[in-house]
Amino acid sequence: MRHGRLPLILSFLLPPLAVYGIFVLSPYLQAFQISTTDWLGYSAQADQVGLANFRTLLHDGYVWNALKNNAILLAVVPVVTIALGLFFASMLTMGGRKGRAGVTGVRGTSVYRLVYFFPQVLSVVIIALLWKEIYSPTSGLLNGALRAVGLAEPPAWLGDPRFAFWCVLAVMVWSNVGFYVVLFGAAMQAIPRDIYEAVLLDGASRATMLRKITIPLLWDTIQVAWIYLAIAALDGFILVQLMTNGGPNFSSDVIGLRMYDTSFGSENKFGYASAIGVAMFFLTLSVAVLALRTARRDRIEYS
Amino acid sequence: MTTVDTGAPTAAVPRDTAPADRPPRRETGVANAFSHGFLLLWAAMTILPLAWMLLSSLKSNGEIIADPWGLPEALRFDNWARAWTTAHIGRFFFNSLVVVTGSLTLTMLLGATAAYVFARYEFRGRQVVYYLFVGGMMFPVFLALVPLFFVVRSVGLLGTWPGLILVYTAYSLPFTVFFLTAFFRTLPTSVAEAAMIDGCGHFRLFFRVMLPMARPGLISVGIFNFLSHWNQFLLPQVLIPGDGPNRMLAQGLSSLAVSQGYAGDYAQLFAGLTIAVLPVLVVYVAFQRQIQAGLTAGQLK
Amino acid sequence: MNRREILRRSAAAGLLATPAAGLLTGCATSGGDDKGDAGAYKGTKSEQNPLGVKEDAPLEVVIFNGGFGEDYAKAHEAMYKERYPKAEIKHSATQEISKTLQPRFVDGSPPDVVNNSGAGQIDFNGLVSQNALADLSDLLAAPSLDAPGKTVKDTLLPGTVEVGSYDGKFLVLNYTYTVYGIWHSTKLFADRGWTYAKTWDEHIALCRQIKAAGIAPWTYAGLHPRYMSWPLISTAIKLGGPSVALAIDNLEPNAWKSDAMKTAADAWYQIVKDKFILAGSPGLDHKQSQTAWCQGKAAFISCGSWLESEQKDVTPAGFNMTVAPTPSLGSGDKLPFEAIRGTAGEPFMVPAKAKNTAGGLEYFRTMLSRKGAQDFTKKVASLPVVAGATDGVELPFGLATVVKALDASGSNGFNWVYNNYYRKLERNLVDAACGEFFSGRISPAEFLDQCQKGADSIAQDTSVKKYKRAA
Repeated sequence: MRHGRLPLILSFLLPPLAVYGIFVLSPYLQAFQISTTDWLGYSAQADQVGLANFRTLLHDGYVWNALKNNAILLAVVPVVTIALGLFFASMLTMGGRKGRAGVTGVRGTSVYRLVYFFPQVLSVVIIALLWKEIYSPTSGLLNGALRAVGLAEPPAWLGDPRFAFWCVLAVMVWSNVGFYVVLFGAAMQAIPRDIYEAVLLDGASRATMLRKITIPLLWDTIQVAWIYLAIAALDGFILVQLMTNGGPNFSSDVIGLRMYDTSFGSENKFGYASAIGVAMFFLTLSVAVLALRTARRDRIEYS
Repeated sequence: MTTVDTGAPTAAVPRDTAPADRPPRRETGVANAFSHGFLLLWAAMTILPLAWMLLSSLKSNGEIIADPWGLPEALRFDNWARAWTTAHIGRFFFNSLVVVTGSLTLTMLLGATAAYVFARYEFRGRQVVYYLFVGGMMFPVFLALVPLFFVVRSVGLLGTWPGLILVYTAYSLPFTVFFLTAFFRTLPTSVAEAAMIDGCGHFRLFFRVMLPMARPGLISVGIFNFLSHWNQFLLPQVLIPGDGPNRMLAQGLSSLAVSQGYAGDYAQLFAGLTIAVLPVLVVYVAFQRQIQAGLTAGQLK
Repeated sequence: MNRREILRRSAAAGLLATPAAGLLTGCATSGGDDKGDAGAYKGTKSEQNPLGVKEDAPLEVVIFNGGFGEDYAKAHEAMYKERYPKAEIKHSATQEISKTLQPRFVDGSPPDVVNNSGAGQIDFNGLVSQNALADLSDLLAAPSLDAPGKTVKDTLLPGTVEVGSYDGKFLVLNYTYTVYGIWHSTKLFADRGWTYAKTWDEHIALCRQIKAAGIAPWTYAGLHPRYMSWPLISTAIKLGGPSVALAIDNLEPNAWKSDAMKTAADAWYQIVKDKFILAGSPGLDHKQSQTAWCQGKAAFISCGSWLESEQKDVTPAGFNMTVAPTPSLGSGDKLPFEAIRGTAGEPFMVPAKAKNTAGGLEYFRTMLSRKGAQDFTKKVASLPVVAGATDGVELPFGLATVVKALDASGSNGFNWVYNNYYRKLERNLVDAACGEFFSGRISPAEFLDQCQKGADSIAQDTSVKKYKRAA
C-alpha cells in the first residue's frame, strides 16, 4: 500500500504549489511588506513607517463605517442565498409529483435550471447597469410598478441612504443564487434516490426530507457555499462601485471599495491601502476559521 | 435568443416506469402553489435582464436613453456589426477563448491533483499547505496587482498569453482546491479500497476511478472557473498592457463600457455584451447535458 | 550583477516565494532605481528645434479614451511625424490610466506623453509630491509653431499656466478650456416666454413659475452630487470675490464657513425647501439626469461645457442648449452677473522619467499650434486653451454660447483648484455633503460643517502634500 504514495504526492502537489507560490504568495507577501511603508505608488520612494498605517486605520471612521456594512452583508447574504438556493434546488430535483415516489423535479425543471443560471453568465458590468436602470427613480421598472399600484412618490432607491445599501445587497443575492441552485442541484443528484424513496414511503413530507436528509448529506457543499459567500460578502466591491460608488454619503461603502479608492481612486496611498487589505485578510481569515469551526459536523458518506 | 424545448424534462425520467405501489402523497395546495409561483417569479427576474440586454442591443442610442424599457422602432443589427468590427469584439473573443481554454485546463488539472492529495493522503504539514492554498481566497486581488506585475515581468511573461494563463490558474487554485477537496472527501472510500485490493496503483486509482467519480464536482467548479476567467478583467488589464491586438474580451468590453459613459454609445455596448454572453450561454446549455450525464456516472448503486 | 538581475534569477528559480523580505520589497518599491535613461534622447537645440528633440527618437503617447475619443490625438501625432519623419510614434488609448500605467511609473519606464484624465486618473497630488512629472517651463518659453513672434505661453488662454502649476512649477498642460455654468433650453424658454434670471430672487420667482407650469425647475446628478457644488461655490465667489476660492484652495481654517459661503448655501437651500428639484433626482446618475433635462422634465441643470457633446445622441432637434452664469445673490456682489467659472481641463503630462522628454514637450508644442488646436476644435467640438482656435470654425449651438459667455465674462472670470490639489476632497467629501444637502437631509449650516470637516481632515493628513496658491 505504501508503494507509489510519495511519487504521487510530490508530482500532484509540487506543480500547483510552484505556480501558486510564484504568482500568488510572493505578490501577497510583498503587499504585506508594502503595508508597513508610506509608498504612494508612482515612484520608487517608500519609507518604512512600521505599524503607523495600522494605527491610522484604527481611527479611520470611513473604514469602520465600511466594515459595518460588510458585517451586515456577511450576516445576510450567505443565509438568504443559501436558503433560496436550497429551496430552488430541492424543488427542481424533487418537487415534482410524477413518477414513482415523486423524486423528480417540477414540470420544466430543465428550463428553470437553465434560466436560473442566467445571472451567472452576465458580467458584473451589465448586472450593475441593468439594476441601476431598474432602480432608476424616474424611468425605472421598479418605480414604474410602484406608481402603477398607486404610490405617488416612490423612493429614489440608490439615491437614498436608507435604501441604497439594501438595494445593492439584493442584487448581490440575486446574482449569486443561480450558481448555488446548480451546485446544490448537482450534489442532490448525487444522493442515491433509494434513500429518498425509502423515506417517502414512510410518509415523510418534503420539508422533513429537506431538513432531515438533504441538508445533512449536503453539509460539506453547504459549507463550501457558506465560505465562498462569506468571502464574496467581505468583498462585493465591484458591484458597490458600479452601482453607488459607496454613496450616498458613504452609506453603502464597503471595505473593498475603501481600499480601491485609497489606492486607485481618489488617492493613491498604496501603503495605507495595503494596510487596509492586510487587515481585511486577517478579518476574512478569522471569519472563515469561525465558520469552519461552527460548521464542523461529522461527514456522512453514502456508500 | 436560445430556444428551449419546453417539453417534458428528459433529465429526471424515472428509469423504472412500474406503477407506484401507493398513490403519491398530496402536497398541500397552498404551499405548492406558492412554491411554484415563487419559482416562476424568480425565473422572470432572471430572464428580464437578458431580454433587456438583447433588446437594447437592437435599439438606437436615443431609444435606449429616452425609454430604457421601450421597444425598438426597427431592429438595428448594425450595432452588432459596429461592436464586432470597430470594437474588435470578434478578435478579442478568439483571444479569450484561447486563453480561457488553456487556463481552465491547467486549473482543473492542478486543482484536482492538489485537492486529491489533501483529501486522501495524510502527510506531515498537510494542514499547513492546505490552508496556504485556501488562504488565497481571502485576499483581494488588486492588492497584489503591483507586485504581481513585477513578478510576471521578471519571469519574462508580461504581455503574453502563457503569462496570463499561469496567473489565472494561480488565482483560481484556492477556490478550486478548497471545493474539490471537500468534494473528494464526500466520495465513498469503499471503492478506492476495493480498487487498491485489486492491485490498482495510486496513479491509476486517481485517473481511472476517482476522477470519473468526481465528475459532478469537477463540472461545477469548472463552470465556476470558466465564468470567472471569462469575465476577469483586472488581471489582463495589468498583465496585457496597452491596446494591443492580443487583449482579452473583457478588456474590450470594459473599454466599451467606460467609453459609453463618455460617448454614450450604449447600443454598441449592449451589442458587445450580448455577443460576449451568448456563447457562454451556449456553453452552459451544452454543459447542462453533461452535468446530467456526469451525475449518473458519479452515482453508485 | 545588479539587484534587478538577482531578482530575475531568483524569481525564475521560484525563490520569490520565500519571505526574503528585503529582496521582495526591492521588487515592487524600488523598481525605479535610476537606470539613468530618463530623458535619454537628447538632440541639439536650434532655432528650428528649440527644445532639443532627437530626430529619430521614438515617442510613446498614451491617450485617455473618453469623450473626445482618440482620433484627435492621432492627428496631432501625424503632425509631429511630419516634422520628425524618422521618429517612430507608439500610440495607445485606455480608460484605465492609473491601473495601466502605475507599474510603469514604479518601474521607471513610463510613456513620454500621458493624457491623465477620466475616472481612472492618477491623483496629481501623489504624482507631484513624488516628483514624477517633468517641468514644462521650457515649453512655455519656446516659440509657437505657427504664430510668428509669439512664445507658446503668449498663445494660451489666461489661467492655463496657473491651473497646471504646483508650488509655482508648471507641470501639467490642461488642453481644453471648460466653462461651468447653469444650462437651459433656449427653445423651451422661448416657447414659454421665460427669460433667464440675473438675480437670485428673480431666479426663485422664475422657479415658481416653472413649477406652476408643471415642469421641475431643477435636476441634478444625485449619484454625483458634486455637480451642484459648482454653482453654489460660484455664487459665493461672485458675492465675496475671488478670495473666497483662494481660502478654500489653501485649506484655510473655516474657509467653507465664510460669510459668502453661508449666504450662498442659505440661498440655494431655497430650491431644496420649495421642492424645486425634480422628484427622484437623488437617485439619478449624470447621464440619467442630463437626459431627463433634455427630455424637458426639468428646466435647469448644472454642468461643464462638455454637456453638449455628451448629450449629442439624445438632444431633441432645436433644443438649443445655452450656458449662463449663476444668478447674482444681491447688489453687493463683488463680481458682475456675467462672471463665470472657466478653467483649463483635460490634463496632459510628461513623466519625469520618460525617455524622450524633449519629444513630449515638442508634442505639446504641436498640440498648441494654431493648426493643432483648430483641428481639435473641429474634431471634438470643444475649446482648446489656445487663443483664437475657434476663429473661422463652425461651432455647434451650445459651444457658441460657451464662447459668448466667456467673452462676456472677460477678466471677471474666476476659478478654483482645490479639486486638482486634493482629488479626494471634491470627489468624496464635498460630494457626500452635497448629496445630503440637496436631497434635503441636512441644513445649510450642517452642509458647510461637513465640507469644512472634510477640508480639515485633508489639512491634518500628513501624508498629503499641501499646495498654496497666490491670488
